[in-house]
Amino acid sequence: MNRLHPRVRLLWVARAVLTAAILGGVALAVQRIIAPPWLPAWTPIGVFVGFGALGVVVALARYRVWRYEVREDSLYLERGVLTRVRTVVPFVRVQHVDTARSPIERVVGLASTVVYTAGSRGADVSIPGLAPDDADDLRERLKRLAIRSEGEDAV
Amino acid sequence: MPQSLSPLSVPYRVLQRGSGIAVALAFGLGGGFEIPGLGPAGPIVLLIVAGLAALGLIAYETAYVRRFSYELTADTLDIDSGVFSRRSREIPLRRIQNVDISRNVIQRVLGIAVVSFETAGGGDTEAQLRFVSFEEAKRLQRELPRLKRQAERTDEEGEATEAAERGAVEPELEELFALDRSELAILGALSVDPRVPGVLFVLVSTVGSTIVPAYLTTVRGTTLVGVAAAVLVGVAVVSWIVGAVAAIVEYYDFRLVRSGDELQYERGLLQRYDGSIPFDKIQTLTIADNPLKRHFGYATLYIETAGYAPGGSSGGGSRGSEAAIPLAKREHVLTLVEELEPVGDVDFQRPPTRARRRYLVRYLLVVGVFAAVLYAARSLLPVSFPLWPLLLLVPVAAGFAHATWRHRGHWLGDQHVVTRNGVLQRETKIVPYYRIQTVIDSRTVFQRRLGLATVTVDTAGSLSLGGQDAAAVDISGERADELRAELEARLGRAVDAYRAGRAGIGVDGPTDATSNDSDAESETDARTESGLDESGAPDE
Repeated sequence: MNRLHPRVRLLWVARAVLTAAILGGVALAVQRIIAPPWLPAWTPIGVFVGFGALGVVVALARYRVWRYEVREDSLYLERGVLTRVRTVVPFVRVQHVDTARSPIERVVGLASTVVYTAGSRGADVSIPGLAPDDADDLRERLKRLAIRSEGEDAV
Repeated sequence: MPQSLSPLSVPYRVLQRGSGIAVALAFGLGGGFEIPGLGPAGPIVLLIVAGLAALGLIAYETAYVRRFSYELTADTLDIDSGVFSRRSREIPLRRIQNVDISRNVIQRVLGIAVVSFETAGGGDTEAQLRFVSFEEAKRLQRELPRLKRQAERTDEEGEATEAAERGAVEPELEELFALDRSELAILGALSVDPRVPGVLFVLVSTVGSTIVPAYLTTVRGTTLVGVAAAVLVGVAVVSWIVGAVAAIVEYYDFRLVRSGDELQYERGLLQRYDGSIPFDKIQTLTIADNPLKRHFGYATLYIETAGYAPGGSSGGGSRGSEAAIPLAKREHVLTLVEELEPVGDVDFQRPPTRARRRYLVRYLLVVGVFAAVLYAARSLLPVSFPLWPLLLLVPVAAGFAHATWRHRGHWLGDQHVVTRNGVLQRETKIVPYYRIQTVIDSRTVFQRRLGLATVTVDTAGSLSLGGQDAAAVDISGERADELRAELEARLGRAVDAYRAGRAGIGVDGPTDATSNDSDAESETDARTESGLDESGAPDE
């Protein structure tokens, strides 16, 4: 079982803090512009700290739970904090494999590998938080495995 | 040799496109519409412009039809089209999932039809021929599977001549199902159009906005109640009639025919649909029923192919949830299922009894919320009513929890995984192992507390987008682990078997070469007593 790159925690925590900051900003705007009298003065700070803390805890927990494994005939993923999800993607069913790097991921030096199947949940299967070389390796490996187990039309 | 569209499509296309312009023109002339700066010459100028536009339209449509050509070659369908920007397409025949023909009343009078070719890619129709003669449409529908078979044989054996001979043999037609009058009547009677009340409401609120308030002020309280009741009944009756008429128009003279390794259906009173579904493109079969249908022994069957559910309206893309069999006696449906995918006896494994506790808690919560709302209403509004009748809902919730548990189940067969869920809208899904895309095991916080899990089987079927995937809900955690591994292994075996023998999936040849041979046969014999039937008594 492989774990994600530890640096992905940085990414997720940053994202959680950003979300909390936006929510806090909204709260601040509400307080300044609409100014309902029942809203205490510390609301924006409270919103920011509350959501930030929650987001950070969830992000760390998510990292602890996330596992993936390239098995003999399938890719196995395990993830989810509240709802634990385990997905099996047989290689015969892989349509194509992508490596994606968002701007923020590039800053942190990470990449994600996305595996597409013809299933109705299609692009759902993505592995975030890989070192770029690992992501490329994984993509190549999945590609080779998928080609080796060439499906009729994978549908 | 490339072929072209029917010459009759020119006038039809002109009428189709031009009717909008004609309406606008009539409106412009009749309404005394004046173009500034032209004075009395306005209408004449308008007429000249319209005439030019009509000529242009006729010229364009003629050119379109003349420059459209298609050809069915040994292994592709080639379409060249376009007046100004040309487009050439080659669609490999084995990628084509369905061939649908649709004709509305005018098209039927003219003897022309729309032919739609569907592939798995995307939800949209891959190619459409608008319009060809109906005989030509039928020829295409017949020819396509024949060429497909031929191409496959040539691939395998390299004996083109012999293959051609065998391929030329017309497959025999076997009628699998026809909707008779009484079934159509029942289908109509069970169809209520839920959109009608909304439409009526909009109509009344726009058209009758002045009459209604005036009327309301003149009548007294008691009569008002009577009128309201009458209106409610009226709305219900109207939506029922509209639903019935729509269902009858849509499914009039419904027939399902097996032709070789394809299913063909025909339906419709005003607009006729002819479609084909190749067996080897079937992803999932769904048997749906509700308590009413269960009681009278009826069921509905949905057949899903990749990216498309057959029967969707032509041109408008796929609607995604059209029934393959709108309504039939349960035995009929089961025999047909057995014919399409020999499932054999199904012995559902229910979730552990602790799952039932979950449902009880869930429904009691609903009752609790309802009670809280009523309580709030009572304390805020100046009306008083007793709350104790709510206690009667508790046994109802308990009964419903038990029913939910009782109707859930999953079963692994020789070649299929079967799942069943739902009480009011119960769906039994049959997924051949070969069609599994991914296996997803998910456990929510509450499920983990009870050691339960849900295993979802994802397929490329299109109905799953809107409805629910086949899922074994609330099974024990250990069973879920087992199921995950087992489904993956069985998919692998099914793929191997498919490659080894190119056997139809579930149509012929069992997955496990030798060991299951006899079992499979005995099960096919016992198909009338299929366990998909309601007969299975609750074993606890």
